[in-house]
Amino acid sequence: MLRRMRTAPVVLLVVGSVLMVASSLLIGSADLSLQQAWAEWRAGLALRDAPALSVLVQQRLPRTLAALIVGGGLALAGCSFQALLRNPLATPYTLGIASAGALGAWTATILVEGYGLSLGFLGPRPIQAVAFLFAVLDMAIVYLLAARRTRLSPAVLLLAGVTMGMLANSGILLMRYLADPERLVRMDRWLMGGVDVIGYEPIKVLFIGVTPCMIILLAQGARFDQLGFGTELAAGRGVNVKLLQLITFLAGSLMTAIIVSIVGPIGFVGLIVPHAVRAITGSRHRVLMPVSALAGGAFLCFCDIVGRKLVTGEFPIGIVTSLIGGPFFLYLLMRRRFTDWET
Amino acid sequence: MLEAQDLAFAYEKGRDVFTRVSAIVRGGMFTGIVGPNGSGKSTLLRVLCGLLKPRAGHVTLDGKALRSFSAMERARRVAFLPQAVNPSFALSVFEVVCLGRYPHVGALGGLRRRDLDVAERCLGDTATGALRDREFMTLSGGERQRVLLASILAQEPSLLLLDEPTSALDIHHQIEIFSLLRRLANEGYGLAVVTHDLNLAARFCDGLLLLSEEHGSMAAGKPGAVLTEEQLSSAYATRIRVTEHPITGTPLISAEPPAEEP
Repeated sequence: MLRRMRTAPVVLLVVGSVLMVASSLLIGSADLSLQQAWAEWRAGLALRDAPALSVLVQQRLPRTLAALIVGGGLALAGCSFQALLRNPLATPYTLGIASAGALGAWTATILVEGYGLSLGFLGPRPIQAVAFLFAVLDMAIVYLLAARRTRLSPAVLLLAGVTMGMLANSGILLMRYLADPERLVRMDRWLMGGVDVIGYEPIKVLFIGVTPCMIILLAQGARFDQLGFGTELAAGRGVNVKLLQLITFLAGSLMTAIIVSIVGPIGFVGLIVPHAVRAITGSRHRVLMPVSALAGGAFLCFCDIVGRKLVTGEFPIGIVTSLIGGPFFLYLLMRRRFTDWET
Repeated sequence: MLEAQDLAFAYEKGRDVFTRVSAIVRGGMFTGIVGPNGSGKSTLLRVLCGLLKPRAGHVTLDGKALRSFSAMERARRVAFLPQAVNPSFALSVFEVVCLGRYPHVGALGGLRRRDLDVAERCLGDTATGALRDREFMTLSGGERQRVLLASILAQEPSLLLLDEPTSALDIHHQIEIFSLLRRLANEGYGLAVVTHDLNLAARFCDGLLLLSEEHGSMAAGKPGAVLTEEQLSSAYATRIRVTEHPITGTPLISAEPPAEEP
């Protein structure tokens, strides 16, 4: 065997994640009887006559699917960016995508509500469309700045991304300063993120946009392992480093942009999940990445459950991920599991 | 066999790093590439393994243009070990060696019995079997270098191109690595090794290529023919004395202090 792999914790993690996702279907602000839903299904009732089934199908299922795709996508993007930039601090938002998306959402809101501009030509959800466009614009600028003849420069990617993020944040501050208080509250709620999607339209967009990117990234695992020992050794072994960097950048950024534009900038998942999983699976990406994706989805389901149950009404999931994820990550750091990063 | 003829390379237009350099790396031969900083030794090594494209001249591998090989095909014949390899995350020694199977396994394939056997054998060949389950990052410099050698041997190449494999090592480990490289050459591998240590090169290499900043390839041949006072003094712009090693009888190179100093 490759390493005395601690198989038991990995299996436990996988099983626990699956259970977490399943329980996200059952737990919510209204209690749900699976038996009743099953009976309603067997009876072939229409959804409007089947209270339990309709909660399950119209609320819980889309919400769980959203949490699964979003959490999995963010964890995978974080993991990929950490490999691409050879930096343990990298997150899906390191390249400024979340801030740019948020700036886009703010800009669209002001244009539509403040100036009465119609952005109908951008589709049924113009605010999300503009958020996505801003995120893509950020990607393009960061890419053009970092592209070199033979490869992308990780250092320039980082610097350009962080700078773009700060620029976008100051743009947001400016708009907040100018905005009227009522709009301020609503937009701040957007910044806290939420997987409280209704219906399957956003799920469709998430699924079509994010899963192909996830599959593409998952297929790069062996190459990320090679990249861990530097671009030159990887290139000498036959890895097309520039292509790998390009694929990783595009797939990771694009799916982050889609996620942020639909559910808002949910923080921490992309940073802590890959690190926590790494402590259990080791650093071989062929294992690390799929387990991270699953664990990311499960973590977000968990945070969503907490958000639903913790207080009456709803609690923004972006706050829950940070409140739970932050202390947990500090605990991991205390255990000194992260002496393995050397940059 | 790797053959390069009349190579010239420039990172920027109009500023050649070297011109008119020819080199051969062939099985059983241990070739040292020496010369002052900035003479293009490391660049030459990268051109030889196809990571950089020469401005002029051409490189052939086993009689065919190096460019005609896919990167993976090339990596199964020629292995390249850059200088100062630092991993960015923790792996065990055996995992590091298994990474060398990439050109055979590809991005999506899994390691099979044969791949693990090859990795195991490479551990044995570099005397790193006892380190098998250690974390790579906890190893000493000399151990790391031997493990990295094992990992490029796992590519099952016939030619090895190494960039300053001993630059961070003490004299004991320098000799250990060079003895290991000498043994690999005796077993049939072809080696080209960039090094700053002229004495080790004189003692262990079959042939040397001396590069200089102005002239590109300045001299090539047996160590005794390349390591002359005249050629070295000119290449390094320092007065250099060549005597005989008291034990091995190979050339012993030392720099004279600058004339104006007391």
